[in-house]
Amino acid sequence: MKNVKWINVLIPVASVLLSLVIGCIIMIILGSNPFIALQYLWIGAFGNLTNLGTTLTRATPLIFTGLCACFAYRCGVFNLGGEGQFIMGSILACVVATQTGLTGLPAVLLSLVAGTIAGGLWAMVPGLLKIYRGQNEMIISIMLNYVATLFMGVLYTNWLRDGSVPQTASVPLESRLTKLFGLRVTTAFLLALLAGAAIYYFLFHTSKGFQLRAVGLNMTAAEFNGFAVRRYLLISFVVSGMIAGLGGSAELLGTQYYLINGYANGYGFDGVAMALIGQLHPIATIVVAIFFAALRVGSTTMQVVTGVPTSVSDIIQALVIVFTVAGLAMVKLPEFKAAVAKLTAKKEAA
Amino acid sequence: MDLEFLGNLILASVRMATPLIFLSLAELYSQRAGLVHIGLEGLASIGSLVGFLVCLISGSPVAGVVAGAAAGVAVNMIYAYATISLCAEQIVYGMAINIFAPALAAFIYRVYFGAGSELVQGALMQAVHIPVLSDIPFIGDLIFGQTPMVYLAYALVIFTAIYFSKTKSGLNFKAVGEYPQAAATLGINVIGVKYLASVICGALAGIGGAYLTTCYASTYTDGNVAGRGFIALAAVIFGRWSAGGVLLACLFFGFCDALQIRLQVSSSDIPYQFFQMIPYVATVVVLGIIGMKKAGPKASGKPYRREER
Repeated sequence: MKNVKWINVLIPVASVLLSLVIGCIIMIILGSNPFIALQYLWIGAFGNLTNLGTTLTRATPLIFTGLCACFAYRCGVFNLGGEGQFIMGSILACVVATQTGLTGLPAVLLSLVAGTIAGGLWAMVPGLLKIYRGQNEMIISIMLNYVATLFMGVLYTNWLRDGSVPQTASVPLESRLTKLFGLRVTTAFLLALLAGAAIYYFLFHTSKGFQLRAVGLNMTAAEFNGFAVRRYLLISFVVSGMIAGLGGSAELLGTQYYLINGYANGYGFDGVAMALIGQLHPIATIVVAIFFAALRVGSTTMQVVTGVPTSVSDIIQALVIVFTVAGLAMVKLPEFKAAVAKLTAKKEAA
Repeated sequence: MDLEFLGNLILASVRMATPLIFLSLAELYSQRAGLVHIGLEGLASIGSLVGFLVCLISGSPVAGVVAGAAAGVAVNMIYAYATISLCAEQIVYGMAINIFAPALAAFIYRVYFGAGSELVQGALMQAVHIPVLSDIPFIGDLIFGQTPMVYLAYALVIFTAIYFSKTKSGLNFKAVGEYPQAAATLGINVIGVKYLASVICGALAGIGGAYLTTCYASTYTDGNVAGRGFIALAAVIFGRWSAGGVLLACLFFGFCDALQIRLQVSSSDIPYQFFQMIPYVATVVVLGIIGMKKAGPKASGKPYRREER
């Protein structure tokens, strides 16, 4: 099928347009001019270098959790625990950067490594329960999100609380990630791109990556071919958690600097959305994450200037996923394929 | 531990188990028709918001619950169309609902109340003491002094148990989840049953959400479902896809929730978040212990296409 490639791009793009149209209708109902609102949305997201920097900064954690979801699902397991793994990574990075007395490059490197390991270990729990107890990895990984969030609460309200406000101490200036071109965006963004490229290379250009995808496509067939299915399942879960953990530590060292109530809230499910809209392709996932971040950052400007609430942009984002997933299912229907075949046959006849 | 403490604990367990019962039954009906639904969290959140708003406007918690059910059905029709008619992957689409429905709920709340509004409180459903029965010492008030929603939940459990094991219609329903092709050859309308299951699932999940804002807390906050949609999924697995088992599982999780609240109040040395972890950790431990024995409907999670035999 020659059509498959372009349809995979067409469906998300069409979904975005459809969602924007519905967003515009909502704006009209709310009594605003959608064209002016969208204009400010664009300016807020990409209008100048500062705004672009903010957009890329917001995109960075989404890229990490998106890649996390993408990697696991390529192997056929659903890791919905990206948020918990991200938070555990942030916690370890916070402990290393603020409690050990280390500063500068050693602190940065050690924090990133510690965060990555923490994320991997947190993801190992659902992975192990999946392969040894055959248990539903989705529920387990989600439950662990709540546990991680609550544990983070223990740290910022109690154990690592710094002063009267419930938050931890900030990462010292010399241990923070370098800002690029004087903008808000830091080396964390480059790290995210690097992670995406590495995952792309691994999945599509190495034999191990091929085997991992084979397990994801058909577990039974992979087993017959002698692939160590259970090992791949566990590895995919752990690596996926490590990606989220790295993202968490990079977010803490580059953007947030301290743990506080609401930190990373929703990043896990956002990541799943990015991966699904990007159809589990690492590079596409990055593009989708930047687009979603743009909607979020731009919507603040839109609200300030035109009074259209930012939640309109949340609705647009939610609609994109609803439409994309339905659209991708639709084009796989035999009826749809038959209709397309009929259409092309007619064209050739004419 | 005195009797009053124990009584309060049981009372709270029953109260906390009720939304889980609605949500688990929603999942049970859906899975019995072969539809694994991980979007209950989303359905409950929209049910809880609509229930809250209608209850606030009309002043009637009952109207709120009915509206919550309707909202649940409406949103679940999106899921039903995508998974039944378009054969979208159920897990993937459940996730889409989990992202879409809470965003919709938050949006409606913000638009209705404006951005920086203070906490708005609605009416709460009052407990109905069943005469005579609620006068039985100790257990009387625990079982017969609850809100009508609690009675509804238990009635639904009994109804579901009888429906799936004793009625022809219930067996047909189950056949769709076990072996849809065979069910179709027997003249069962497979697609119809799946849509019916989605209507029931949406309504029950919506009620479960509305319970949170009309019977449990008098206000809506983002994320107030707090993972109950997923714990309900675990309860269905733990309860081995039977109504009675699901009830016990929900009571267990409800007990964990009630226990953590009591423990939070009674001990101040340990950070309270550790107690809040109890229901979630219990879910992981329980799922880990019961292990894999596959007892669910056999065709659950698989798309059904009429042409395939």
